Amino acid sequence: MEAAKMASPKSAPKDAQVMAQILKDMGITEYEPRVINQMLEFAYRYVTTILEDAKIYSSHAKKSSVDADDVRLAIQCRTDQSFTSPPPRDFLLDIARQKNQTPLPLIKPYSGPRLPPDRYCLTAPNYRLKSLQKKVSSTAGRITVPRLSVGAVSSRPSTPTLGTPSAQAVSVSAKVGAPVSLAGQRFTVQIPSSQPAGKSATPTTPTVQNVLINPSLIGPKNILITTNMVPPGAADPNPLKRKHEDDDDYDAL
Amino acid sequence: EALLGRGTSAAAVAIGGTVATVATSSPGVAAVAAVPPGKGEARGDCAVSPSFGGNPGNGYVLRCAPCLRVSSPSSKITHSGDVRVGGAVVVEDQPDVSAVLSAYNQQGDPTLYEEYYSGLKHFIECSLDCHRAELSQLFYPLFVHMYLELVYNQHESEAKSFFERFHGDQECYYQDDLRVLSSLTKKEHMKGNETMLDFRTSKFVLRISRDSYQLLKRHLQEKQNNQIWNIVQEHLYIDIFDGMPRSKQQIDAMVGSLAGEAKREANKAKVFFGLLKEPEFDVPLDDEDEEGENEEGKPKKKKPKKDNVGSKSKKQDPNAPPQNRIPLPELKDSDKLDKVMNMKEAARRVRLGPECLPSICFYTFLNAYQGLTAVDITDDSSMIVGGFADSTVRVWSVTPKKLRSVKTAADLSLIDKESDDVLERIMDEKTASELKILYGHSGPVYGTSFSPDRNYLLSCSEDGTVRLWSLQTFTCLVGYKGHNYPVWDTQFSPYGYYFVSGGHDRVARLWATDHYQPLRIFAGHLADVTCTRFHPNSNYIATGSADRTIRLWDVLNGNCVRIFTGHKGPIHSLAFSPNGRFLATGATDGRVLLWDIGHGLMVGELKGHTDTIYALRFSRDGEILASGSMDNTVRLWDAVKAFEDLETDDFTTATGHINLPENSQDLLLGTYMTKSTPVVHLHFTRRNLLLAAGAYSSQ
Repeated sequence: MEAAKMASPKSAPKDAQVMAQILKDMGITEYEPRVINQMLEFAYRYVTTILEDAKIYSSHAKKSSVDADDVRLAIQCRTDQSFTSPPPRDFLLDIARQKNQTPLPLIKPYSGPRLPPDRYCLTAPNYRLKSLQKKVSSTAGRITVPRLSVGAVSSRPSTPTLGTPSAQAVSVSAKVGAPVSLAGQRFTVQIPSSQPAGKSATPTTPTVQNVLINPSLIGPKNILITTNMVPPGAADPNPLKRKHEDDDDYDAL
Repeated sequence: EALLGRGTSAAAVAIGGTVATVATSSPGVAAVAAVPPGKGEARGDCAVSPSFGGNPGNGYVLRCAPCLRVSSPSSKITHSGDVRVGGAVVVEDQPDVSAVLSAYNQQGDPTLYEEYYSGLKHFIECSLDCHRAELSQLFYPLFVHMYLELVYNQHESEAKSFFERFHGDQECYYQDDLRVLSSLTKKEHMKGNETMLDFRTSKFVLRISRDSYQLLKRHLQEKQNNQIWNIVQEHLYIDIFDGMPRSKQQIDAMVGSLAGEAKREANKAKVFFGLLKEPEFDVPLDDEDEEGENEEGKPKKKKPKKDNVGSKSKKQDPNAPPQNRIPLPELKDSDKLDKVMNMKEAARRVRLGPECLPSICFYTFLNAYQGLTAVDITDDSSMIVGGFADSTVRVWSVTPKKLRSVKTAADLSLIDKESDDVLERIMDEKTASELKILYGHSGPVYGTSFSPDRNYLLSCSEDGTVRLWSLQTFTCLVGYKGHNYPVWDTQFSPYGYYFVSGGHDRVARLWATDHYQPLRIFAGHLADVTCTRFHPNSNYIATGSADRTIRLWDVLNGNCVRIFTGHKGPIHSLAFSPNGRFLATGATDGRVLLWDIGHGLMVGELKGHTDTIYALRFSRDGEILASGSMDNTVRLWDAVKAFEDLETDDFTTATGHINLPENSQDLLLGTYMTKSTPVVHLHFTRRNLLLAAGAYSSQ
């Protein structure tokens, strides 16, 4: 990318020559050649927008043709909307006076990282773990709600098996390091929102219960992972770890 | 017929310090200024009072007089009683920024403006030599104000011919402004240009000796020149001083800003330019350096003191602010360790001087494709950050030690918190890399700043936000929204916790990391704030602006305590000397100007660079000033010599005039060329090695 001198006037269309002349009049001697194109595009777009707006206003006022007043109104509305300019000086002086009157706040010692309240920070997790809902499958009785405890999705490759495929409720082992390779399949994993990390394998809350997945039935199903907002810190370690482990496998995370 | 300011549904007008919002009910009725009676001189006996309740048919309540004048808020307000005017006045339903814009009203016949101006020109050119230089200062402000008045009152052809005839007479350093002016040919053009509006409503300050002023006044008060006298009174502020008229050279050094010079009283407030006392704590005894026996932890002892203001550590420096003038964060253990490191490094510091110049290590950013827009280096020179036009912020480690982020919370709970190397254990080895890229901004990043404790990084961008990043997790923590326009520069306070930012909206803001809104707003500049720096004692902030002035603001109450004029182009770099007494500034005019903060005077001018100066830095003990510029050079200047022998006699202090010696060549210690790499940042390590940074540009 090199800054070029003015575009050769011989081959440029008249509008481009006008743009080059404007740049020259404003004292700009070095510019990339594409600046002219950008200026042309802007000019075309702006004029088109204004004229279209003017047409709308004139038809609204039931006039037969567009006249100067319509154009003026169109310009005025667009200026307020697109081309804002910074506040005027007296306004700034006034708000400055107001702000500068309050004394500087005292600093509490030893209060950790000094950040604004959480809602003004960008530190909250931007995903949420949805609480489990009851889901009735076609073969009732065989498969209950696939409630998994967090971090406990362990399976063998290519089989979405969680524990033993039996009709009973099976509690899932909370093997933390277990990788989940659910390549090619998507699973609905409804993760309880109140499950703290490091809990024992058997979830104790009633909402999170046992997993029963019959591999033969799971096969063709598509299971989606849904997520909810958790209150910060509630299930933090698990989602983080989950994300860490399962990043490659889950595409909905 | 008197011309009125046209307004919209709402206009804010400042009156004597308070803002009154005037609303009218119908869009057709102009908003007018509410003028409180009983204030100010009754100059033209004109005023307009608001027509609340919307009576479009009635027009306005105003007093008819030859000229209608509603002065700007910064000057006295003219007022009068009411007079009814029959019939509606033609109004345009156009938005107007403020009814105060109606300050520009007919001063006389537009066709005679050229006569007035050339008459004045003739008078000044025929005056005595000693007065001519001073009176020539009038040309530029008068020219601009007369031109703007013609444009505002829609005498387009007269305005054009006025411009054609006289714009060549102006000084060369005003050419950029004149070019902008030449594009304002209609009243509508003026509305969006905040800088021009501010220029109109603020008074251009001129410093003229009493003799010259008498001469001018006598001439202008003759009958035929009354119009110019009106304009002078309306738009100019003449700061009269007693003494010898100044020479052209002296004047040229000080003028150039958009608002003229600074009033003398603007630079009279007391400024605490001294440094805060370092906290005393025990330095652990160490065999390898001698400072071990220094129990009181006075790092300043290592540096030779340049100022003898009685700054023993026992006595309070009279020029230093009280310790608790502004609240500062407490010293943590990690900060104390850092200070100890600092002192150890300071012991090994190279003493620089004209015989011992620093070595310069240049960090060239390759393949940046002219997208490098900001650079910063930590105080201990361990990390370097680059802000780029593609809105990324990239952090590199300068030392062989790689950048690591902290482990996740689950892993953190597993480590042994009592072990000695816990600070290494919390780092996740898997994330070690030399470069970290931070994404988040949605526009080019124009300013970056590390926090003194190296935990945080600030970046400000064209998207109007300032972002705080954690250097332990390398994620974005907060986005501070306040400027809604590009933010050009930001900097952390030397003690952390506070930071300042300045942007296109012509204000600088002081923030604290734990407040989502600014704590202070520094408003006063007429154009964008391009550069913001903290004073070493964190009590003052210097801002450089595109209006070619530098202002010094007090953090405690937001007041502007100093205004420095003299640059002829927007200011792009500022540097405080380590002892806090002096300020060095660099601008697009290629000059480095040196200022004495205590007295509010220009004390030096360093000529040599041929292009914009983007980087300025004093060495650790203030002996050398390094400047880096777009002309691909780094220059070193002798700061000790520049600041000695200051004339501070009474006349100088009273008038602010100093005879600057032409000693740039003597002060220049060295010029170092780079291979077509403009210098964007300069940094002296703790041992006085000079680091420089820039992006290689291949043309």
